[in-house]
Amino acid sequence: MSSLIRPRQGHNPSDQLAELDPTVFAHPIRRDILHLCVVHFLDSLRQGSANTKTRAEVRGSGRKIRPQKGSGMARLGDGQSPMLVGGGVAFGPKPRDFSTKLPRKVIQMGMRVGLSARVKEHRLRVVESLDWPGFKTKDMAQRLSELGWEKTLFVTGRDAVPVGLSRSSSNLQRVDVTTADALNVYDLVKWPQVVLDVEAVEWMERKLGKRPGEGSTVL
Amino acid sequence: MSAARFRATSGRVHLFNLHPAPGSQHTQKRLGRGRSSGLGKTSGRGHKGQKARSGNGKPKAGFEGGQTTISKLFPKRGFVNANGKTYAAINLDKIAHWVEQGRLKSTPEEPITARELVLSGCIHDPHDGVKLLGSGAEQLKVPIHIVPSRASKSAIRAVEQLGGSVFCRYYNRLSLYDCVKGRTDRVAAAPTRREDIMWYTDWRNRGYLSEKSIAKMPVVEERWRELATQLTKFKSQEFEKK
Repeated sequence: MSSLIRPRQGHNPSDQLAELDPTVFAHPIRRDILHLCVVHFLDSLRQGSANTKTRAEVRGSGRKIRPQKGSGMARLGDGQSPMLVGGGVAFGPKPRDFSTKLPRKVIQMGMRVGLSARVKEHRLRVVESLDWPGFKTKDMAQRLSELGWEKTLFVTGRDAVPVGLSRSSSNLQRVDVTTADALNVYDLVKWPQVVLDVEAVEWMERKLGKRPGEGSTVL
Repeated sequence: MSAARFRATSGRVHLFNLHPAPGSQHTQKRLGRGRSSGLGKTSGRGHKGQKARSGNGKPKAGFEGGQTTISKLFPKRGFVNANGKTYAAINLDKIAHWVEQGRLKSTPEEPITARELVLSGCIHDPHDGVKLLGSGAEQLKVPIHIVPSRASKSAIRAVEQLGGSVFCRYYNRLSLYDCVKGRTDRVAAAPTRREDIMWYTDWRNRGYLSEKSIAKMPVVEERWRELATQLTKFKSQEFEKK
């Protein structure tokens, strides 16, 4: 285990070991599953607000621009036809929902693969607690450079992020904090290093671990 | 075999080196985007004709070009009986097999009902009720106690010869649902239609509201006793003759 908070004199956090469930943290790496989860997440972020006016929506009257026969030119109806300059757009974008559905179990597998990938690269750390004392960003930046932790995501297993940690790191670009229930596969892939506290590890194992006797259907 | 297919992604997993599983994603068919795509100009529709038109180029389903359609050629026949019931037939050979395997057990106090048949997989759907039929009666070796919606005479004979019991009970849609789900909070309705009343008060059918059934059944509700006397009173009643 590592420690974010400066350890007491004579107390080495590396002496403690955190036992991780192999189903969750030693899952075979499936990049295609991660791809699916990341694409699903990014789709859900799309605003989908591109809009164009069709020939019905462009302002203008329905008067026939020139007579059907006799002018020697192509026949035309109203002035908003997509053929004409200033006319509506044919089949243009309309606001729509780009979100896709992905089976719940695929997303859960993505979480397991993401955590296992970080473990395999030796970039997953477990700390006793994330209760950082103090609010100064400078102190946090100093401690992180001491530890050599660049581009880290802190995940807490509690309901809310500890105040000290969130305030000290909110202005740091290369650090992010989240709760275990708000964690998604995209974050796990994006952040090179992930630091979990013990409660977060337990939360993951509870949510993603294999439950005995699962899968039986009862009338 | 192009070398470009090879991906050296044994390094760390990051947003820049994720790929979909090969063969899992197919490129979209885009019509009218030039000759080389194979779908330019007429966009896979050929030349002219009804099928090449925009909007829905097809006539309505069943249309045969003006020829009298198959659905119009023949006259309508008959009617559909709203009160008709479809019973889920269950033969004695299947029940015998299930009892042999140990998938069905019965005692006089806890007879086989629609619920046990569905749960054990003997029947998949009870429809409007379960009817016990006698095919394969020779295969039944042990006494069984069963309460279906209906039973054939040969099935009744076969079961009773071995010392079992058959009593037919009236189930309407709601009481059959409660029976299958195992709910006991609601009161099961009694038969209201004359045909049903006549059927279930008859000992020949082993109806649960006949006098002999009330005497023989191990579990009898007070309601049934009262109903059995009330519903058969007409047999001894007489009109005043002037």
